[in-house]
Amino acid sequence: MRAIRQARLAAVPAAPTVERAVAPAERVCFCGHCGARRDAGATAGPRVCDKCQLGLMLDAAPELAPRPGGAFVVLDRSLSVCAVSRAAERLLDVYEPSVVNCHVSELFETPDPERQHHVPVAEAIFRAARGEQEVMEVTVRPARTFGVRLRARVGLCGPRPAALLVFD
Amino acid sequence: MRHLKTSEAAALLNVSPNTLRAWERRFGFPKPQRSPGRHRLFTHGEVTALRDALQEGLSISSAVSRAREGLTSDPGALFGALVSFDTERADRAIEAALALRSVERSVEEVLLPSLDEVQQRHGTDSAPWAFAARWAADWLRRAQRMAPAPVRDAAILIADASRDELDRDGLYIRAFELFCVRGGIRTLSLSARGVSGVGDALAAQRPDAVVIAGSYLDDDAVARWAYQVRLTAGSLPMAVYRRGGERARTRGGGTIHLPPEPSAAQIQLLELLERHAAARAGERGHGRAEARSSTRAEARQQGRGGQRKHNHDDQNGRRQRQPQARAAAAG
Repeated sequence: MRAIRQARLAAVPAAPTVERAVAPAERVCFCGHCGARRDAGATAGPRVCDKCQLGLMLDAAPELAPRPGGAFVVLDRSLSVCAVSRAAERLLDVYEPSVVNCHVSELFETPDPERQHHVPVAEAIFRAARGEQEVMEVTVRPARTFGVRLRARVGLCGPRPAALLVFD
Repeated sequence: MRHLKTSEAAALLNVSPNTLRAWERRFGFPKPQRSPGRHRLFTHGEVTALRDALQEGLSISSAVSRAREGLTSDPGALFGALVSFDTERADRAIEAALALRSVERSVEEVLLPSLDEVQQRHGTDSAPWAFAARWAADWLRRAQRMAPAPVRDAAILIADASRDELDRDGLYIRAFELFCVRGGIRTLSLSARGVSGVGDALAAQRPDAVVIAGSYLDDDAVARWAYQVRLTAGSLPMAVYRRGGERARTRGGGTIHLPPEPSAAQIQLLELLERHAAARAGERGHGRAEARSSTRAEARQQGRGGQRKHNHDDQNGRRQRQPQARAAAAG
C-alpha cells in the first residue's frame, strides 16, 4: 500500500516552482540641471525637465540621488564631464556648456594624492560609471584651488551608465 | 536646404517653443536664420541632429556638442555657417571636411559648392555673398601660405582678369592657384590691369607658361598685357582659365582653354608644362647635335686644305670650282 502511494506520488508531476518576483530597486528620477524630482519611471516619458527646461531626466539610487537644487556632476567612464547642475556651476565657478566634454581634472582633483586614505577620485568615478561599486564617499579639491575640501558621494546613474558625483 | 519654423522644430524635438528659444539663448544651438519678417527659421539638419543626440545624451549640453560635431562634417554645414555670418562655425566646418578629405577635395566638394549655393540663393550683390566670398578668399590665401615649397622646376604667371574679391571667378582662380602651388609649381599671380613693371616680374619669376584667368577685363586690356609679356619674355605657352566659353584649341594659336574645375585645370596645365619642357629639351639637344656636326665639317675641311691647294695649283679652272661645290654640299 505504501509502495502504491509512493508510486502514485512519483507519477504526479511536480508543481512548477513559482519564482518570487524581486521588487526592482527603487530609482529616483531627477533633472540633470536643477535636480527637481519626478515620479519613478519618468525617464520613459519626455526627457526634458518640465521645470527648468534646461536639463534631461536622470535616475539614481535613493541614497545617491541629489536633493532638489543640489550640486552634482555627471561624468562618463572616460572621465569626461557630461552634465553640471546649476548649484554645481556656482560651487565650482564654471559654466556647463563650457566644461562639457572636458576631463574631470579640469573641475576637481584628489586633494592629497600622497595620503593613503584619500581614494583617488578618478578611480572612484571610473568604477562608479562601470557599476563596479556601490555608493562611495570621496573628498575632492576644486581644480587649481588649494585649501578647499569638498565631500561628495559617487555612484552609478542612468539611463545611460555614468557616474554621478553629488556634493554634500 | 529645408527650414523649419519654431513650432515645427519644437514639435520635432518634443519640446515647447519657449524651451527651444531658451536653448538658443543658453547653448546657441540650434542657431536659426531669420526670415524677411524676422521669424526664426531653423535648419532641418540641425534639428534632427539634436533630436538624435538627445536620445542618448546625459545633458542638453552634451547633446548639443555631439550634434555640432556630427554636423560639422556635413557639406551643408558650411553653407549654414556662411549665411549665418559665423566665421568660427565656417572654420570648423571646413576643418571637419579636411578631416575626411584632402585639401583639393575639400575645396572642390565643400568650399566651392557652398559658395555656389550662396550665390544662387542670395546673389552676388548680397551681404551673405560678400561675407562668404571674403571668408573663402581669406581661407584660400592662408592655405596657400601653408603649402610646401615648390619642388618642380616649373613656374607660371597668372594674369588675374577678375573684377575683385567678390567676383565668383576670382575664388575659382584662388583655388586654381592653391592647387598649382600644392602641386609644386612656382606661381606668381598679378592683376592683368597693371602693364607697367611686368618685365621685372617676368625677370624674377622666369615663367614657363602664362595663364590668363577671369572674364571681367575685356579682350583689349588682356591683349595689351599679353603683348607686353611677349615683348619681354618672348613667346611663352599661354593658357586661358575661366574666360569666356569653352573653345577648342585654336589651330596654330597655341592657347589652351583650361577646364573650369581647378583640379582638372591644374592637371592640364602640368601636361602643358611637361610638353613645353620636353620640347625645350629636344631643341637644346638638336642644337648641340648641329653644333657638333658643323664642327666636324670644319675639321674635315681643314684636314683636306693642303690637297686642295695642290689641286688648285695644278688645274686652275676646275680646281677653283671644286672647293665651292664641297662647301655648298656641306652647307
